[in-house]
Amino acid sequence: MVDSIDSNDGIFRTQNLNLYYGENRAVKDVSISFKKKEVTAIIGPSGCGKSTLLRTLNRMNDFIDIFSTKGEIFFQGEDIYRSSQDVADLRKRVGMVFQRPNPFLKSIYKNIVWGPQIHGTKKDLDELVESSLRKAGLWDEVKDRLNDLATNLSGGQQQRLCIARTIAMKPEVILMDEPCSALDPRSTARIEDLIGELRKDYTIVIVTHNMQQAARISDKTAFFYEGELVEFGDTKSLFTKPKEKRTEDYITGRFG
Amino acid sequence: MFHFLKLIMRSLLKRSNLFKANSIKKDWFDSFVKGSLGLCALISIITTFSIIFILGKETLLFFEQVPIGDFLFGTKWEPLLEPQSFGVLPLISGTFLIVIGSSLVAIPAGLLTSIYLGEYAGPRTKAIVKPILEILAGIPTVVYGYFALTVITPMLKMIFPSIEVFNALSGSIVVGIMILPMISSLCDDAMSSLPRSLKEGGYAMGATSFEVVWSILVPTALPRIVAAFILAISRAIGETMAVVMAAGATPKMTMNFLESIQTMTSYIVQVSLGDTPAGGVEYQTCFAVGAVLFVMTLVMNIIGRKFYKRFNLEIE
Amino acid sequence: MSLRRRRLTEKCFKIATALITWSSIAILGVLVFQILKEGMQWVDWQFITSLPSRKAEKAGIYTAIWGSFYLMITTMLFALPTGIGAAIFLEEYGGKSRLSRFIDVNVANLAGVPSIVYGLLGLAVFVNLFGFGRSVISGGLTLGLLVLPVIIITTRGAIRSVPKSIPQAAYALGAKKWQVIFFHTLPYALPGILTGVILSVSRAIGETAPLIIVGAAAYVAFVPESLLDEFTALPIQIFNWTSRPQEVFHSLSAGGIIILLSVMLTMNSVAIFFRHKTQRSRNG
Repeated sequence: MVDSIDSNDGIFRTQNLNLYYGENRAVKDVSISFKKKEVTAIIGPSGCGKSTLLRTLNRMNDFIDIFSTKGEIFFQGEDIYRSSQDVADLRKRVGMVFQRPNPFLKSIYKNIVWGPQIHGTKKDLDELVESSLRKAGLWDEVKDRLNDLATNLSGGQQQRLCIARTIAMKPEVILMDEPCSALDPRSTARIEDLIGELRKDYTIVIVTHNMQQAARISDKTAFFYEGELVEFGDTKSLFTKPKEKRTEDYITGRFG
Repeated sequence: MFHFLKLIMRSLLKRSNLFKANSIKKDWFDSFVKGSLGLCALISIITTFSIIFILGKETLLFFEQVPIGDFLFGTKWEPLLEPQSFGVLPLISGTFLIVIGSSLVAIPAGLLTSIYLGEYAGPRTKAIVKPILEILAGIPTVVYGYFALTVITPMLKMIFPSIEVFNALSGSIVVGIMILPMISSLCDDAMSSLPRSLKEGGYAMGATSFEVVWSILVPTALPRIVAAFILAISRAIGETMAVVMAAGATPKMTMNFLESIQTMTSYIVQVSLGDTPAGGVEYQTCFAVGAVLFVMTLVMNIIGRKFYKRFNLEIE
Repeated sequence: MSLRRRRLTEKCFKIATALITWSSIAILGVLVFQILKEGMQWVDWQFITSLPSRKAEKAGIYTAIWGSFYLMITTMLFALPTGIGAAIFLEEYGGKSRLSRFIDVNVANLAGVPSIVYGLLGLAVFVNLFGFGRSVISGGLTLGLLVLPVIIITTRGAIRSVPKSIPQAAYALGAKKWQVIFFHTLPYALPGILTGVILSVSRAIGETAPLIIVGAAAYVAFVPESLLDEFTALPIQIFNWTSRPQEVFHSLSAGGIIILLSVMLTMNSVAIFFRHKTQRSRNG
């Protein structure tokens, strides 16, 4: 089912992972590995468990009372659900960009430095702001108004700010949960270009229900259906020569 | 069978004709209903104007006998003793002492309670704590007065042996307990009405709850939190029975919480407990003091609601 | 800041918030304990059926209970139709006209007016201007004005929560506006309205200051027979006993508090029961 993965090679690796909301099993027996400095897209119809899986990787599901896990998730070889895992530290190393842009009600500058500051960075904040905004492709648009409220930016700019905010913490992995679903096509194109830039330095896992997007930006693609990992492999081969019938049906638009 | 259906159809049609014939009459009835309901709504406006008119009228009558300057800036309040003096400042200072004391109790405690409920308490704990806070909010103020006199004051006496039987501290504490549920529930509303994604954004960057609360939730919800404080303070200003029963009836300008004081509200009660005839200057003092009280609370409520609305603008 | 120090701050903060929260609950515990300890010895049939007396062991709350009862009847006879009527007007007929916005702001302001100011209003208007004197009707109307904003606000909330499909279905059948309101919208909103009404009664029954201002008497030896009779009320009796220097009267007032709080608790439970029941039946 899952094609050849060297089990020690991934920065993130799950082993027979099951995720539950109460009695309801949202992710079923998934073993998958995300490689360093690759863009992995997770696709599938809504309700297939792709977002649940993503939000488990930085333990954002901890806030849901009825959520539970069975199986293992390793980040850099260590189980992130072990009791000694510091969640704050995990989330610093595994950044996340959400479906809807969610800048804080602070200035653009403060939005960027907030993360590094709580993690103890005190020096060279100005340089950090500039470099993060540059990497996010936002610097030229906002360099003259860093002290304006971030909430006054356009939706696309806000989302790039959220990416810059994540980059500023120097994470190892960036998780993206349908980051373009609330944006217009032009802003979407900019974010996609940006992901293309970021792949040089970061491991990116992106959930999307837009198959064309997955095809455009990712190295690997995983197709989920009803909580199961149906197929996982190189994006090109998955879209051109899917091995599974369900994958083929989905990418040719027969359901979903 | 078909025949039967036809019969029903026919009778239905007749009915609807009947209805149509009546329709002019019904329209008349509709506007009658609207008119009488409008009258009900008008009563609230009449109430407001009556309050303003009556407080205004009696206060003006009062100012015919006592110069307005003496009232507003006088530092001695002895309207029931000869020679009379009508400086309202001691009553205002007494009220402020209670406001300051109760705010020191209720603002930090109320805010922390709302944070506990919003961030740390599980659903089961919330299901216990929230109704209890509602009960605390619903207990009549006369019961709090009893509590202050029979429990809080004796306990304070053990800590401060020099404390008077009636004292501002006991009054402040009990008024603080009374307004705490209001603050905690308004602050809880303020923070839980923020978009969930804001909180998630903070946690996703590896922040602890403490950091998320103090540098994201509280600053973002600040206008509404401030509104909660203002509205609660306005309630403390108007609080009557607990202060009457616990804080005493000694109008004086002091910052000492261990002494007996008098608030604006407890002065009005003190006069009402005696048998003051309508029309006398003592009767009018109540309305003059009431007018000060009314203006203060009204202004605070209006400011409070302004803050509340500003919040809604900022969160789209 | 190092991760360890951040963790420590977090832990301390969490403990602090929990401590503060649970201490307000402890306060409620102390309050209930004190009242039961002091007052339980008095609560019996004789206490409920005796007139007030200078001798503690003979004193009771008979007139106070009946006074409160008649007050609440008067209050609700006035505030219920008026409040619900005003709420219907604002929700269904008001629209966004300047008048209805004005009434809206006005109701919100009235809700924040201290209760003692309502007392002054009642004293000037009902007692003196209308010549009702220090009577049940003066007290009842004063409390009625006091709870009016509460009833208006909760009723509006209840009406607003009626799904749009219900009036639309009635209109689609050709019903007139008043028919839609009285036969469809109001029945659906009724549980919500009732909850608000019960809560407003339970607020009114504990009000003390406005009654003192309009002249509730400290000592009344008979149950009011007409609306123009003088009266006392449960909270007035409690206040009166607590203000006496003798300890024995303090414990008597604890007895009165037990009765008052039991009445309020019963009403609130009924309200919660109503809310719960309709929620359950509507969620299927």
